[in-house]
Amino acid sequence: MTTPEWLTRPETRFGPCTCCGRRSKGDLVEKTLAGSSRLIRSAMFSADMAARDGFLQRTDARVKVVATVALLLVVALVHHVAVVIGLYAAVLVLGVVSRIPCRFLLTRVWCFVPLFTGVVVLPAAFSFVTPGHVVVPLGTWFGTPVGLTSQGLTTAALVVTRVATSISLVVLVTITTPWPRLLAALRALFVPRAFVVVLALAYRYLFDLLNTVTDMYEARKARAPRDHDVARSRAFVAATAGATFGKAHALSEEVYLAMVARGYAGQATAIDRGRIACADVYVFAAAVTIVVAAMGVDHVLH
Amino acid sequence: MHIPDGYLSPSTCAVAAGAMTPVWFTAGRRLRKVVTHRYAPLVALAAAYCFCVMMFNVPIPDGTTAHAIGGVLIAVLLGPWAAVVAVSVALAIQALFFGDGGVLAFGANALNMAFVMPFVGYGVYVSLAGRAPLQSRRRAVAAGAGAYVGLNAAALFAAVELGLQPALFHTANGTPLYAPFRLSQTIPALALAHLTVAGAVECALTIGVVTYLQRANVPLLRLNHRDVPLDDAEAHDRRLSENARRRGRGRVALLVFGIGALLTPIGLLAQGNAFGEDAPADLDLHRYHLQSVPNGLAHYAGFWHHALLAGYGFGHDAHPIFGYVVSAIVGMAAIAAVAFLLVALLGRARSRYGPRSGARSVPR
Repeated sequence: MTTPEWLTRPETRFGPCTCCGRRSKGDLVEKTLAGSSRLIRSAMFSADMAARDGFLQRTDARVKVVATVALLLVVALVHHVAVVIGLYAAVLVLGVVSRIPCRFLLTRVWCFVPLFTGVVVLPAAFSFVTPGHVVVPLGTWFGTPVGLTSQGLTTAALVVTRVATSISLVVLVTITTPWPRLLAALRALFVPRAFVVVLALAYRYLFDLLNTVTDMYEARKARAPRDHDVARSRAFVAATAGATFGKAHALSEEVYLAMVARGYAGQATAIDRGRIACADVYVFAAAVTIVVAAMGVDHVLH
Repeated sequence: MHIPDGYLSPSTCAVAAGAMTPVWFTAGRRLRKVVTHRYAPLVALAAAYCFCVMMFNVPIPDGTTAHAIGGVLIAVLLGPWAAVVAVSVALAIQALFFGDGGVLAFGANALNMAFVMPFVGYGVYVSLAGRAPLQSRRRAVAAGAGAYVGLNAAALFAAVELGLQPALFHTANGTPLYAPFRLSQTIPALALAHLTVAGAVECALTIGVVTYLQRANVPLLRLNHRDVPLDDAEAHDRRLSENARRRGRGRVALLVFGIGALLTPIGLLAQGNAFGEDAPADLDLHRYHLQSVPNGLAHYAGFWHHALLAGYGFGHDAHPIFGYVVSAIVGMAAIAAVAFLLVALLGRARSRYGPRSGARSVPR
């Protein structure tokens, strides 16, 4: 059974980023509700994708995590835009063979990257930020030609393609790996047990808290007309955040008691990680080949 | 402030992750020690809460909204070490599942938002809150100021990390390989955004939550402020009981001191001289197989000639018993004065910086 399409349909008004300092117009209640529902939609969509029968879904989570870190390192280490674009193409191909909609991968990345990374690095293309050989002259400043420099354009392109490729890679792996498998893989790769347990619990109860927040905002929306008073709205947000902390603390006590009732004595055990199959070894070998090839091509171009 | 992969070089990411490793280790150890088995659910829910805080859109005066991080808020509510783990886990979930912040850059993001921000903010909070009661306005304002300073400190760290990239990593023709902006550009750019909008939002949310808890749910504030009085009346009562306790301790000390003073004349009954206290002239050289008084001993033994009560008397053996008793009284008075001064100084330092100074973190 899959999630209904209408429930996972993205709202075009909002980008995927929730980075700090973002400012946008609109009602705070609606925006918070939309943000919460977007997160829940995203998690449900990930669960649906992970359940599909695709190439990456069949691959062992440990292999995927190690290969992802290696590929992320290569993306960060290569110096040529062409190599990064080649790696991005490989990621898209991986998405297609894993039955992930190509449109999803493209919109997930290219709605966000031009808006944030592109705008941020665009000034770097100009000679006043990155001096160098001016290829697109825009005038002179005290006798010095100013404009877009080849060094600046290269840097901007490098950063944008790197960010796009890295995000695509991480999204692809997390969307094709069920959460418990990913946690088990992290544990197998020597991430401390305490961190993995906290991560698992936090992800599990994050949605409970989000539901609580959504309920509070919906109750406000149902009972009160749209309030334009900034001070009152801010007090409401603070009260909601304070009440949520109280609920989070109470929930942590309940969770602890439930864990103890089920026999928890301070040590959590991971699910069976299974054996690495022959196909997983081939996948790992392919990843190593891609890493070596990318580094080699980058060295040749250098 | 969530730095994605691609902006920082792998070596910068490795250094940041290396710097965070002992912090994570210490945070985990301290939390496990204090909250034992409750550690996992408590910190996990704190991490989930931190994630939710980032979802709250806070209205700002021009009709738009922005959102906070909540690192200092968690530090005020649960202590800075709990904030380290909670914010780190929230950042990990954001990086892995929502593409917000990089996987390679996780160490750098954690350094900025899970370490610098809570600790700087908490330090400011503790300094400003002082010994103010738990329900005082000063404590809420101190939390807001801590959030503002903490966020800007984190932004400064992020600006430095980004601004170092073009100087450290570029090709032979000057093409920057990672974030292209220099320190002179990254610091003002991030400072402008965080000193104005983001800092104000963080400050407003933190003050609002602390004020709400002061009004509606004080036991939650108690989690990290066990020794802080609730209000002025309780603070007054505590001061009275503290003074009474001090007076009691002072009486015991005086009793011990008085008994010692009464026993002083026993010294008059003692025969001979104490070993090693002879003047050079009175030394039995033959006994110690010496031909003469050692030069150093002869030189330094007489470098001070201004003792008020030389030889525990008035000199020239005048009124030896009376001189001995007066010497004992003067000596005890001098020692008592020095001890009193030291205790007063230590007490003041403790009240300003010590655990009774206002906030006390959960993981002690």
